[in-house]
Amino acid sequence: MTKSHENYRELVMRIAKTDFKLRYHGSVLGYVWVILKPLLMFTILDFVFSSIFNFRNSGTPYYPLELLTGLLLFQFFSEATMTGLTSLVTKAQLVTKIYVPRWTIVLGSTMNALFIFGMNLIVLALFFLYYQKIPMFEGIAMFIIYSLLLYILAVAFSFLTAPLYVRFRDLSTIWEVCLSVIMYASPIIYPITIMPLRVRTILMLDPFAFIVNYSKQGLINGQYADGLHFVALFLGIILAVVVAFLVFRKYEKTVAELI
Amino acid sequence: MIKIAETKNDAEQSPSSIAIRVENVSKQFTIPHEKTNSLKGAFVNIFRKNTYEKFYALKDVSFEVKKGEFFGILGRNGSGKSTLLKILAGVYTANKGSVKIDGLVSPFLELGIGFNPELSGRDNIYLNATVLGLREKEIDAKFDSIVAFSELERFIDQKIKNYSSGMQVRLAFSVAIHANREILLMDEVLAVGDSNFQSKCLREFARYKEMGKTVILVTHDIATVQRYCDRAMLLRNGEVVKIGSAEEVGNEYIYQNMSDEERRIVEEQNQARFKAEKASESLKGNALAEEKKRIEEEKARQDEERKNKVAEITGVEFLDKDGKAKNVFETGELIKIIITNKFYKNVENPIFGIIMKGLNGAPVFVANTQFKEIKTGNIEKGITQVLYKIENRLATGTYLISPAIADATAKTFYDWKDGFKRLDIINKEYNSGGAVDLEHEISVDVK
Repeated sequence: MTKSHENYRELVMRIAKTDFKLRYHGSVLGYVWVILKPLLMFTILDFVFSSIFNFRNSGTPYYPLELLTGLLLFQFFSEATMTGLTSLVTKAQLVTKIYVPRWTIVLGSTMNALFIFGMNLIVLALFFLYYQKIPMFEGIAMFIIYSLLLYILAVAFSFLTAPLYVRFRDLSTIWEVCLSVIMYASPIIYPITIMPLRVRTILMLDPFAFIVNYSKQGLINGQYADGLHFVALFLGIILAVVVAFLVFRKYEKTVAELI
Repeated sequence: MIKIAETKNDAEQSPSSIAIRVENVSKQFTIPHEKTNSLKGAFVNIFRKNTYEKFYALKDVSFEVKKGEFFGILGRNGSGKSTLLKILAGVYTANKGSVKIDGLVSPFLELGIGFNPELSGRDNIYLNATVLGLREKEIDAKFDSIVAFSELERFIDQKIKNYSSGMQVRLAFSVAIHANREILLMDEVLAVGDSNFQSKCLREFARYKEMGKTVILVTHDIATVQRYCDRAMLLRNGEVVKIGSAEEVGNEYIYQNMSDEERRIVEEQNQARFKAEKASESLKGNALAEEKKRIEEEKARQDEERKNKVAEITGVEFLDKDGKAKNVFETGELIKIIITNKFYKNVENPIFGIIMKGLNGAPVFVANTQFKEIKTGNIEKGITQVLYKIENRLATGTYLISPAIADATAKTFYDWKDGFKRLDIINKEYNSGGAVDLEHEISVDVK
């Protein structure tokens, strides 16, 4: 109907860059926090769980690496979904005072998490060097594929929920609770091996837990998911994308009136 | 000259010369009585009868704007003009009808969208320009020009939270005019900035016109529309009242506003009377007795005053040629003014007169029985009405009527009510800005 933009790529990137610039504005350490925050989280969790549960001596010699990998993936996912979910509301001005294609707002908002994740990967690489653990090439490749799939999943979630959040503001609180459930239901702070086999099977139905588990396994132990399971994950994510797209297209039209 | 222009227009009447075509567009808002903004609310509402109002912001609106036209949308607050602009921009989706736009639209309705106070002027230019649809390369190329136009060279690397509001507007407008779209949508942007910058903006508007861009300007300022727009549309309660030349539509708008004004005055009067009645009803017992006493005293006081008074003007009424009372007349229309006077004594040959003044206080028209050499004779105690019939040639505007009664020598005024009643005049043909629109002819000698 109305055509006003041809610069979609620039729009998305500009929204993402602005978010990134504003993220730590006014703080003394600035961008250092990008790296410092997960490191502090890691230090606390590593201290608590290494000393209490002593995972390191019970079959997971690279527990700190497993912990950091899982933690980074989780922070990536929770950051991307939270900002994506609230994107249309926090950038209400771009929705009500002007027309920009709404999908650029949602996508641009989630990208900030991708930047931060990318920067944190450097820290992760340094940790692997420190622990003198060089992952196999396949492990790294699978890790990248899983990270991308995780991002696509987060984007799909954002497209699904952003226009709904305009109507129901409880969604952010609900999702916060869900995120902490997801964190403890995934093998982040504990190795999957401490779970009984039956529980493991159930946990692996959660795509996030699946991705975290096999990303870690690939990098550290050279173990990979069953091909069939991977295909199922892939198709599931494609389905999520399709559903999210349809929902977004339907509810996007009225967001300006409801914000 | 005119003939040539018309035929040229006809030739351009092919479909591609239309920039915007809006057909039967309706926009309905559903306003729930209790806004459901949470899941709990939505859940509870399942069991409750959902009450909401349907409200039509736009009803069956159709119009066309040609390429290169400067088109004004006039209307009061709540007339739907901003909703229409939002539909054109794509912010809202119409419930019914279709909107066809040929060309890239500048999508902004307000200046400085996306401006972030924590970012520098430079960053904000990039952000705002991107949001307005520019590519990175284009912004790079235009950056210096944007800064120069805004006159903010020295401050461009400062955070804009340290800018004054005027500086922010300048920056915003500067980015906006560099957005360079074929169709521009603007919502009363002219209301901002100092006069110097405003005139700069106006020159920029004129340039748009020269460049053949299509501009849609939404405003309630008639002067802007009549000065800049080729054509205009008047909206009222979501419906198109008139589409035509800016001049015509502007005049119609003035006329509409006046009838509204009239209605408002009448309503106010009714309400005051109603309140007074209500107030006296609600008084009971002692209070009522006291109030009655007060009224008695007031009457006594007034009577006392009247003993010394000879006459008083109690009413002014305007009637049209059919004897219908109204307060708004058109230029050229016959106005009958009836002045009601109350005489407390018998008076020989008093003089009756009226003065009509403009809002600036300058007398426009003076009439009395002395000028007309009317012997009014012996006026007895009681009510006397005086009728003035005026073939009015007043120009569009508001006039105040001051009636007076004087003695036969015109030395003592029995009563003089300055600015007693307001009269509104509208010239539907043109708005001259003069005090009177005299009947006239103009001929131009062609040699």
